[in-house]
Amino acid sequence: MSYRPADLMLRGWHLAVTCLVGFWVVFLLAPIVVAVAVSFTATEYPVFPPQGISLRWYANALSSSWFRESLAVSAVVALAATTLSVLLGTSGAYVLSRRGVPGQRLLEFVLMSPLIIPSVAIGFALFHLVVQFGLQKISFINLVIAHAVVTLPFILRPVWASLIGSNRSLEEAALSLGATPWEAFRHVTLPAVLPGVVAGAIISFTFSFNDVTVAVFLVGPTTKTLPVELMSQIEYTPDPTPAAITAIIMAITFIFFMVVERTVGLKIFARSE
Amino acid sequence: MKIRPVSLLGFMVGMVAFVVVLVPSLVILIESVSSHERIFSLQAYETVFASRVARQALMRTFEIAIAVTLISIVAGYPLAFAIAASKPRARSLLLACVIFPFLLSAVVRAFGWNIVIGETGLINKVLLGLGLIDTPIQMLHSEFAIILGEAHLLIPYMVLSLLAVIQRIDPNVEAAAQSLGATPPNVFFRVMVPMTLPGLSAGTLLVFALAMTAFATPWLLGGTRSPVMTSLLYRYAFVSFDMPRALAVAGILLIIGIAFLLLHRAITHDGSVREQAA
Repeated sequence: MSYRPADLMLRGWHLAVTCLVGFWVVFLLAPIVVAVAVSFTATEYPVFPPQGISLRWYANALSSSWFRESLAVSAVVALAATTLSVLLGTSGAYVLSRRGVPGQRLLEFVLMSPLIIPSVAIGFALFHLVVQFGLQKISFINLVIAHAVVTLPFILRPVWASLIGSNRSLEEAALSLGATPWEAFRHVTLPAVLPGVVAGAIISFTFSFNDVTVAVFLVGPTTKTLPVELMSQIEYTPDPTPAAITAIIMAITFIFFMVVERTVGLKIFARSE
Repeated sequence: MKIRPVSLLGFMVGMVAFVVVLVPSLVILIESVSSHERIFSLQAYETVFASRVARQALMRTFEIAIAVTLISIVAGYPLAFAIAASKPRARSLLLACVIFPFLLSAVVRAFGWNIVIGETGLINKVLLGLGLIDTPIQMLHSEFAIILGEAHLLIPYMVLSLLAVIQRIDPNVEAAAQSLGATPPNVFFRVMVPMTLPGLSAGTLLVFALAMTAFATPWLLGGTRSPVMTSLLYRYAFVSFDMPRALAVAGILLIIGIAFLLLHRAITHDGSVREQAA
């Protein structure tokens, strides 16, 4: 069987492209796969490929007090920040989707500003303010507020899009047919925005749970979040315990990732870059 | 004039974001250009630039950001086109490979890279095993390690920026070019790439800005031997307690970051849902 040169070229091109895509997929997954694999090693030090299989590093992680404490801090901070972010974000999206409200452009700019100002600058600037006003004692509240505001755009965008997408006159119709404002909201507006709120909330939670850049400037001695604590522990822990903790963080993140994938789909990321 | 409740609500939400994000950043910018004696002085910036370590860090930060941006372009094109061209199942799998790492903490990923490129790590083991090297290569705590880690961090942003544009290209264009006799490389470089330029420029601005201001990745992979601007900021603020210099470095990061990200927003219009609806 003979091929025309053009066919050969097409095949060669496809092969080259497939190899390139394969290379970059391996590159993206390598550190993740390697860290998870290492967490199961039976050796006293992190090694890849793992030698033997053991869950001792997981037992070690779960029994260490710094892991349990920082995990609890991270979970509570992420939950509180997400709640606050949902409240602020949906309110903001509601205002932006109404007609004839003055200053909407300005409001949009302010609410989107966390995407324009580098996280490291937001973290440092808040730290500077905290020091000047002596607010170190309430580091927990500082963390929650910082994460809530930084994750505002994640809520704002999907909710705003679904508010604009849904028929605005529906709520007015409900009102004119005698529904109270609360009933109109509960039965007309809420169902329209719920998928956006849920997706935004999951992304916000994941962000807060994984963030180091903002948190590192704001944590106090008793309010270290898991990634911040892990960052300092990695240096002083020669055994594979950090690998096990890394794998636990990945597993938690993966659960949230799958929830988004199964409910609203990964398109949400493609749109919100 | 009657004030509607919705305006009041908007004002309150806006104030929270204004006070938490914009006010602190403005305070940093203003304080960085004033000293005890004078209201306006660039003294803090001068002392930063007078330090050789800081000048090197600034150069290093630029070099790394340029390298990372180039790598993200080289990786972004095949990945984005593969995602766009795949059937639904392969498509969501590929998209998952790009987006899942994107959600993970920089600490978690840096730990993974530690094991891959460490002295007793995967790459050194393979190279030693193949007999290509006799002693392990020192890859950690170098610019190379930072570039690797930041590329891993930022490739997804480039892929998503390109994908946003590629999805809008009419599939008939590629077929037409092919049927008119263009070779596959020609179709790609002379037909497809020019149409993706808006996505490319958006992705480039975004990746460059994020690479310049990345914190955790260079901190963990670069160590103290290869400081970048953000690690310098952390050191001035928490190790040497040199607030004037910390403010100046933060000012530089703010200006660079805001300039690139505003430009990015201006060319994508992506932030505005209003335009999508219109």
